[in-house]
Amino acid sequence: AQRHSQQDSHTQYAQLGKDVTIQCGSVDRGAVVTWTANNTDLDASHLNGSWLVLRHVDLSHSGQYSCYEGSSWHLKYRVNLKVGTPPKEPVLMCRSNNYPNGFYCSWHLPSPTYIPDSFNITVKHDSKEIVCEKDASPKNRCYIRYLHLFSTKKYKVTLTVTNALGRNSTTISFDEFAIVKPDPPENVVAKPIPNNPRRLLVTWQYPSTWPDPDSFPLKFFLRYRPLIIDYWQHVELSDGTSHIITDAYAGKEYIIQVAAKDNEIGTWSDWSVAVHATPWTEEPKHLTTEAQGTETTTSSTSAFVVPSTTKMYDSERQAN
Amino acid sequence: MAAARRSPGSSPHHTDLCCRTVLLLRKMRADVSRLLEAYVEKQGLDKNFSLDLVDGVPTASTEQWSEASDAERLGDNLKAYWAFQTLLNEILEEQRSSLTPNDLDFHESIQSVLLQVSALAYQLEELMVMLEHSVPAKELEGIRGARERGLFEKKLRGMKVLQELAHWSVRSVRDLRQLSKPVQTGAIPHVSCCLALKK
Repeated sequence: AQRHSQQDSHTQYAQLGKDVTIQCGSVDRGAVVTWTANNTDLDASHLNGSWLVLRHVDLSHSGQYSCYEGSSWHLKYRVNLKVGTPPKEPVLMCRSNNYPNGFYCSWHLPSPTYIPDSFNITVKHDSKEIVCEKDASPKNRCYIRYLHLFSTKKYKVTLTVTNALGRNSTTISFDEFAIVKPDPPENVVAKPIPNNPRRLLVTWQYPSTWPDPDSFPLKFFLRYRPLIIDYWQHVELSDGTSHIITDAYAGKEYIIQVAAKDNEIGTWSDWSVAVHATPWTEEPKHLTTEAQGTETTTSSTSAFVVPSTTKMYDSERQAN
Repeated sequence: MAAARRSPGSSPHHTDLCCRTVLLLRKMRADVSRLLEAYVEKQGLDKNFSLDLVDGVPTASTEQWSEASDAERLGDNLKAYWAFQTLLNEILEEQRSSLTPNDLDFHESIQSVLLQVSALAYQLEELMVMLEHSVPAKELEGIRGARERGLFEKKLRGMKVLQELAHWSVRSVRDLRQLSKPVQTGAIPHVSCCLALKK
C-alpha cells in the first residue's frame, strides 16, 4: 500500500548508551502501528504498544524514525533521533600574543558530543563585564581588548557549554601579565660565514603579531645543535634579532630554533620553525673548475643552493 | 631636593640616569615578587584573595597609557613611589610591632625594598628636573592620618601594597621606555633608555 508521508519532522535527542522511548505522536498507546528506521521496517520486538523502545543506543541509532498507522499506512509521526552525550567540562585557555592590545580566549571540548553544542563566554575584570568579540573563524575563539594596563585585578573568564542533553562550564582567572606569550619569531635564517668554518650567522624577525616592539621589546632564546648530537646549546639574547654562533663544529649540519619573550613579563613563546645550516668549509684544492658551492640552508619548509659564483657574503664586515 | 637647572642637551647623562633607573626597577621587581610571596605565607593569606576593597594604595592600572605625556608619566610615577615609601614604612612598623615582631630577616627584606623605592623616587625626581618637568608636590598628610585598622585589614593592605608595587615596577620600565620614543611632533627624544631597557 502507498505510504502517505505528509508530516513535519521532529527532533529527539538521546544519550549514548541509554534506552530511548519514542511515542508515535498523539496516537493511542494501544494502537497498532509500524515503525521504520530510515525507511526500513522495524520488527515488533522493539515495540511496546505504539511506542518504539530502543535499548542502549549508540551512534548508529541516529536517523529518521517514522510511525505509520497499522491499516491505512498513514504516516502519523516522524522524528529525527540524534544520539550524543552531554558536554564534559570544556578546556579554556586565554593568551595575549599581541600585548598590550588585548588577549584572546579559545576553548574546546575534551571529547565530542556528536550533537550541536552552544558556547557562552563571559569575561569580568574589576567586577565589570567586558565584551569578548567572537572571531569569525576559528569559531571557538574570541578577543578581548585591554581597557586598562598594568592592573593588579584579575580577569575572570567563564565558559558555559550547553546542548540538548546537558550543560557544563569552566572558570579561569588570571593576572594580566601572566598570559602574555608572544608568537614564535619569524623568518629565521641561518647562513654560513665564508672563511669561518666554526661560525653561523642566525637572523630572525619579531613575530608579526607583536604590535609595538619599541615600547614592548622582546628578548630571545636561541638553541642550536649538530644534527648528530641530541644536546642543545642555548644562548639568551636581550638585544637585536641576529646572533653569530661561534662554536659550531666544522662541517657539521646544525639545527637552529629561536623563542621570544616580553622583556618584563609573561612566558616564552613556542620554538620557531627549525632551520638547518652547515658552517663554511674549505673547497678541496684539486678542483679546478668552479666548484658548486653547496650551502644548504634549508628551513623545514624551503631549501636553497648557493650559486657557484657566490657573491661573497661579506658577513665578516656585517658581523663586526 | 634643590631643582638644579641643567641644559636639556646633556642627554648622555639622562640616558645613564634612565638606564640606572630601569636596572633598579628590575632589581626591585624581583625583590618585591619574592617579598610578596614571603609576605603572603607569613601572614597566612591566600594569594588569590580579592583586594578590591583595599584602598589608599596607588594603583598601577591605567586606561590611556599610550597617550600620556612625559611629564604625566614621570609625575605619576614619582607620586606613586612617594606614597609607597610611606606605605612600606607603615608595613614595616606593623610587622615589627605586632604582626611578625621576631622575624628580623623579614623586616630586613622590607627595609631593603623600602630603600630601593626611596632611591627610585630620588632618581625619578632627578630625571624630572633634568628634563625640566615641574616636580609634583609631595602630598603625604592624607596617608598618615589614616584610621586605626584591624590586624587582618593590615595584612591585606600590606599584600595590596606589594602587589601594586610589583605592577608599578613593570609600568615604570614601560613609561621610561616611552620617554625614549620620538614625540609626535618629531622632536628628538630627550632620553634614550633603549639599550638598558633591552637587558
